[in-house]
Order: sequence, then structure tokens, then C-alpha cells
Amino acid sequence: MKNDRIPKAVDKAAPSRGRFVNTGNGPTIQPVEIGHATHVALVDPDTAFWSLVRRDQLGDALNDSPLLRAYRKKSKTFAEEMRMLRFGLKPSAVYFNPTARCNLNCTYCYIPEPMRRSGPQMTTAQLLDALARLKAYFKTTVPKGRLPQIVFHGSEPLLAREAVFAGIEKFGKDFRFGVQTNATFLDDSAIEFLTSRGVGIGLSLDGHEASIANRTRKTWEGRGAFEHVTRAMDKLRGYHGYNVICTVTTENMRHLVKIVDFFHKQEVPACMLNILRCTLPSSRKVKPRDADAAKYFTAALDRTYELYKRTGRKLIVANFANILVGIIAPTARRLMCDISPCGGGRCFFAVAPNGDLFPCSEFIGLPQFKGGNLFKDSIPQVLTTEPFAMVTGRKVEDIEPCDRCAIRHFCGSPCPAEAHEMNGGMKQLGAFCEFYEEQVRYALRLIADGKDSAFLWDGWDKGTKTAFDASTI
Amino acid sequence: MKKVAKKQLKNVIARRKCCQAEGTGLSHYILMDKKSK
Repeated sequence: MKNDRIPKAVDKAAPSRGRFVNTGNGPTIQPVEIGHATHVALVDPDTAFWSLVRRDQLGDALNDSPLLRAYRKKSKTFAEEMRMLRFGLKPSAVYFNPTARCNLNCTYCYIPEPMRRSGPQMTTAQLLDALARLKAYFKTTVPKGRLPQIVFHGSEPLLAREAVFAGIEKFGKDFRFGVQTNATFLDDSAIEFLTSRGVGIGLSLDGHEASIANRTRKTWEGRGAFEHVTRAMDKLRGYHGYNVICTVTTENMRHLVKIVDFFHKQEVPACMLNILRCTLPSSRKVKPRDADAAKYFTAALDRTYELYKRTGRKLIVANFANILVGIIAPTARRLMCDISPCGGGRCFFAVAPNGDLFPCSEFIGLPQFKGGNLFKDSIPQVLTTEPFAMVTGRKVEDIEPCDRCAIRHFCGSPCPAEAHEMNGGMKQLGAFCEFYEEQVRYALRLIADGKDSAFLWDGWDKGTKTAFDASTI
Repeated sequence: MKKVAKKQLKNVIARRKCCQAEGTGLSHYILMDKKSK
């Protein structure tokens, strides 16, 4: 560093000019092996700053290089950006369970079986009352010009179809609505109602053929939902606000490439290939090993690239695209599971059918995480309760080995519900680690090869500004 | 990788974009398209 003066901001902290990486007031820059032929990553874990440098130039890059000099000028800005992203946001979305009941008995559901068999269901009047309360609350948290989001979720939300549709009809100008459904009740009139109002529709499907998909998603009597979902996919073809979620388990991971082929053939605009959540014990029966899941998952990503190159049409794998965006533009990420603290209880919260409030849907089956009730308590007060604070206070700096992991802000150490239920506490890891490592390595390799835009949805960076670009140094 | 190796990759790649943070989603539902409505 050319400047011999000690920066004022660090005067009191330590008498170091910060001339060298990884000592004194110098930046912390960790090399990360990404499995690329020519490049290796350098990451400042705290600011999520990354660069990719040629292997044979690693030593020079870590010295007094133009890259590091440029980064020093930006490091405080990036640190503040991460602080705001991690601790400065307010809720703008609700995962709304209008019913606890479900006609399916999926292997990995996070809603306990007794609730799904005979739990409560909101009446139309209760649902409208709930939405009115949420509307009033969001007026205090969401800036003008933006609409808060309500995602009807389950269990199966369309079991409460009349109430849900009444809510969408009445509050259509106040919220952006979405419905995540198993598709068994998604008949023509429901599709017409939802699509004509621009409601987002998420379908759940775990396979490209019935014999795979129905292993994990079936009725209480054992009948699979595959036919219902594929019928709905046919009807929704061409509707831009629809997507499909595939949960990755031991039952389908070997078929992910074929599943991607199927989704692409069906012209699905976006999907998620979500690694299983292991919150409840029943889901752990189909938990894959990290390395196996990563191998099949990255093969599926490779296939989406091949399909794009061959056809010119993208199939966005949204959970992976979000990782990529989290690397390239941390504040532009949409999904908040891969940042720490996660979005539960701070960017969104969940409403149960009786009005009980939880930090996230994943906690709805865990009574100790109830923070209050929408019909009885003030939402701002609920957000500060101990059950919510346990989730919003879970951060990677307190978790081993995340506290020394270079990619902790590209992974976020999900998920607190898993960590608590499967591994015994909020300072524990969730169900997977190496899977997330491999996902980030893959993303960094794509960036090194200049392929990243092929995995991102068009217009993803609208409204963003360039804050750093090594090519201009 | 073979095709790319033939291309001249830059010695140093680093870029970052910023914007107002609006992330609201969890992995149970895709929140990607700001203009679904």
C-alpha cells in the first residue's frame, strides 16, 4: 500500500496500516480451490468480495496488486452493504397457510401428519380479516411503489380454494399473490382464475415419469400426483408466472438430468431443484449424501446449459440462479435461505391456519417457534419475541465451521429449522454442507468460463449498478 | 471446459453489482420475476 498514513477509522482498533493481506488491518483474503483448470478464487468472507485469478498469478495477486488496491477502496462499502442485507431489512412477504390439511402425504413434508389429516382451516371471513391486518402492517414496512407478497402455501392451499380466491379478488391491488400447489385441485376454472389475475403458480413435481415422481408425492392411500401435475403443466404452458419445484432426494437424484429434460420439453420457465429439507424425522429417510446429491445436481445444471445452447431457450434453476446472483450481486438475491441470518422472521414470516405466526413455514410444525397470533398480537412485537429472535439471531459467525468458511455468505448455512431439529441447536449446521460447497464451486467455475449469464433469468440485473469491475482497473 | 480453454480467459476476473435489497423468498416458492403481476 502506497499510503503510509494510518487510516483514521482504524486508529483506535490497531496500529496497523493494513499493508498486507491476512495480518493486522489488512484485508482477509482466502484462496478457494474451485476445481477450474486455470483459475482459483480469492474471497473476503466478511464482505463477500470475490475474484478469480490465474493460478500462476496467485502470489502476485495477494501482494500489492492493482486488484487489492482497488478492493481496499471498496471494502468498507461492501461491508456495509452486507450488514444492511443481513441485518437491515424488514418483512415484505408472508407465507400464508390457509389450511393445515392436505390430500397428499409426501415423504418429506414439514407439516406433522396429525395436522395434515385434521388440522384447522380458515374460513373466508378469517382469511379476509388476516389479509386486512397484513395490509395494514405492510404499509409500515414496504416502500411506496412496491407491493408486499402473499404466497398461499401448504399443506394444500387449494383445499381452502373459496377463501383463497376471495382474498385474491378483494386484495388484488394490495399484494402480489402466489400459490404453491400439488395441482390436484388445479382444474380449468382455477387456472383461469389465477392466470387472469397474474397470480404466480408453483407446482410440485419430483420426477419426469410417474414411477419416480410418485415415490415421494402421493395421497394417503398411495396414489401418486404425477398425472395431475403434468396435466396442469400442459394447461399452463406459455404462462410466464408458473414454475415447478422438484425436491431432490435419494428417490430421484439419479434422474435429475432426465427431469431437467422433461421440464425443458414442457417449456417450464423456471424450476427449483431443492435439496431436501430434513426438519422432520420422516424426511431423513430419503436424505441423500452430500457428494452424491452434488454430483447429480451439477450434472443437471450442465444439462440446462446444453439445452440452452441447443435450443436458445433457458430453463432457469432458480435456487442455483439465486446462488449465482448472490455471488455477482449480493443485494439482488431473491431467495433468502442462502444468506445468514436467513430471511425467516426478518424478510418474511409464516401465518398458520389459526393465525399463529412463525418465522418461516418450516417451523409451523414446531410449537415452540410460535411468536404470537395475527388476530391477537401486534406483528412488530411478534417479530421481537424469543422464538423469532432464535431464528433471526442465527448467524454463520456463531456456527462451526462456517465461522472460518470463505463462502459463508454465498451459502448461508441453511436451514435453522433443520439445524435445530436434526442437529440439536441454532449453532449447529443444517443437514448439508458439502452440497452447498460444491454448488458455489460450480458457480465460480461458470463465472471463470464466462457462462454465468446462461444460468440467469433475463433482466435479472435490471436496477443494479456496477460496484466493482476488475476489467476497468 | 475444452472449448473454453481455447479462449483466452482473463488473468483476473472480479465484478460486483449492487442494488436496493428486496429479497423476500424462501425455497418453498420461486420469487424471481418482479413483474409476475
